[in-house]
Amino acid sequence: MSKPKLGIFSLTGCGGDQLQILNMEDQLLDLVSRFDIVDFQEGSSRKEEGPIDISFVEGTVSTEHDLKKLKEIRARSKIVIALGNCAIEGCIQAMRNGETSLRERLKDVYGVDENFFDAKLSKPITDYIDVEFSIPGCPIEKEETLRGITSLLHGDSPPYYSYPVCVECKLNEYPCVITEYGKPCLGPVIRAGCDARCPGLGLDCIGCRGPVEGAENFAAEYQMLLDRGYSKKDIMNRLRVFSGELSEDFLGGIDDE
Amino acid sequence: MMSKKIQIEELTRVEGHGGIEIFLKDGRVKDVKFNIFEGPRFFEHVIKSVYYEKIPDITRRICAICTASHSLASIGAIENAFKVEVTPQTDALRDLLIHGEMIESHALHVFMLALPDFLGFPDAIHMASQHLDAVKSALDLKKTGNLIHTALSGRDVHGMNDRVGGFSKTPSVEQLEEIKEYLVKVKPTTELAVKLLAGFDLPSYNFSDNVLMAIDSGDRFGFLGDSVLASDGYVYPQSEYEKLTNEIVVQHSYAKHSSYKGKPFMVGALSRVQLSHKKLEGTAAELYKEHKDKVKQGNSISNNIAQAIELVHSVDRAHDVIENLLSEGLKQEDLVEFDVYASRGINAVEAPRGLLYHDYTFDDKGAILKSNIITPTAQNAANIEKDARLIAENMHGKPDEELKHALEIMARAYDPCISCSVHLVHL
Repeated sequence: MSKPKLGIFSLTGCGGDQLQILNMEDQLLDLVSRFDIVDFQEGSSRKEEGPIDISFVEGTVSTEHDLKKLKEIRARSKIVIALGNCAIEGCIQAMRNGETSLRERLKDVYGVDENFFDAKLSKPITDYIDVEFSIPGCPIEKEETLRGITSLLHGDSPPYYSYPVCVECKLNEYPCVITEYGKPCLGPVIRAGCDARCPGLGLDCIGCRGPVEGAENFAAEYQMLLDRGYSKKDIMNRLRVFSGELSEDFLGGIDDE
Repeated sequence: MMSKKIQIEELTRVEGHGGIEIFLKDGRVKDVKFNIFEGPRFFEHVIKSVYYEKIPDITRRICAICTASHSLASIGAIENAFKVEVTPQTDALRDLLIHGEMIESHALHVFMLALPDFLGFPDAIHMASQHLDAVKSALDLKKTGNLIHTALSGRDVHGMNDRVGGFSKTPSVEQLEEIKEYLVKVKPTTELAVKLLAGFDLPSYNFSDNVLMAIDSGDRFGFLGDSVLASDGYVYPQSEYEKLTNEIVVQHSYAKHSSYKGKPFMVGALSRVQLSHKKLEGTAAELYKEHKDKVKQGNSISNNIAQAIELVHSVDRAHDVIENLLSEGLKQEDLVEFDVYASRGINAVEAPRGLLYHDYTFDDKGAILKSNIITPTAQNAANIEKDARLIAENMHGKPDEELKHALEIMARAYDPCISCSVHLVHL
């Protein structure tokens, strides 16, 4: 049987998710030997045209060029996997979507009035194409990704976490950083799978794995932080870092001024 | 009148998305463009109104491969703004963290991105078919850097444990002992890197009078400090960085271009080693002396071997720092407390690819009013164009494929980090 063809692609972002693949130093050579890698711009000069069995895509669509590339990847791939928080929720690049326009940002950072680049407002790839699976995180967890890839090789689905970070925090018997240390932890509304790393270090969860399915508790989280004396602006900034526009959807248009 | 364009659509084995275009007219180079088409990310815009405490969690995500450098630049700028004095243990742990970053990043670049060019492979995976032991030991070296990242910052990429005022949780003795064992094991790999790269002749097509710039790390060779050295002999306090960068917007790139006294300049390993080689110690000093004819200020491709020399240095230094920390006795320390007021803080650190500046202005509650972040690849962009022009002129008449290959080797030697470069100065 021939090896499945694999593409590892990145759009606009920090490159952290493909770096996490390269960071699997102990498994990397074994892992790549299971695939025929046809496109991996950051790691190889080899490129092969034609159909791909599995494509990993990280980053946001932030330019017309990104969008064209994404559509080409979708067209030639059997399975597309959104890799990391940028591809799934838009991450930091999308943090101010709904708050400020692209024009304001270009003016603010580049001092220009017109979009002489081909910039677009940063959006997750899932706004433009359907994906078969996603692997969350900023960055992705190595172990989860390895399990995901192994599952795919066996015709199975990658792991999926439908419960919040609090569950893993309790399983580890960490002290609650909200009640014990008074920190503004987002653990109650964020997807698990990180083994509650931040609370384990005595820190509040900042939400880097994105909102847990449903996220009905966003309003309660917001109210809890408000009751603990955090300002509306501060809470919204915290919720927006990794959840972007979604924060407003979940909160139903709370005025943050 | 014959016009022609030679284009590298997308550079491979580099971080991020960029290409090179050379415009020729009647056989002469008309124009050169280092195109960056990685999308803009507007970090200076998104962090407005965010409280200081959350800033490093956002800005360390500017880049994955330089995450600890961004983190330390950001934390340092905040601490400078509010005059925070950290403990000696924190200083030592930060020093260790930046050495870890150099080890991880340089191991990746030297072995997996740069060496395949010189050995004639499309990537490290194909290189492993004939050089399996070297690739395996390179992966161990890279892993050693990541073990440092994980023990100190919490994970390989985008850690969280390094905070304003110190470290949330002090790493354990067991973690540091494990790292120490790895450092001993991988030391020969760093020497191998220097020897392998010293075995290749530097190409002659891109010698030029590079202007270099690097941090002044004090008495010992390092990556942290308060002032900046330039190769014309001037020293500048980091607070005057704007004199050194002079950024302008260019239409073909989301990265702004920098100049110093009207000239492009180079930052990174070559600049550091060239400007501070007298501070190198032990094996790194010996290897520098042995191969200094391959570390040329005027040849940007020397950046590869300069990185390899830094690998030797960082592995030795990380080992020393750990021994000192263990003999002093590791303590769980609280983060330093401080008052917040309207203020501005500036900090420079050496990222693997060169000088990195973070500059923040805060309101009286400690929320960001404005910021300016200048990354090494943005500073190098104009110098890469200078080199590309030189190569195109010197290789006039050679086949296009040969020219393109030379351009790729040159650009890759800068170890460009294009993700970093696309969200620059606040005007």
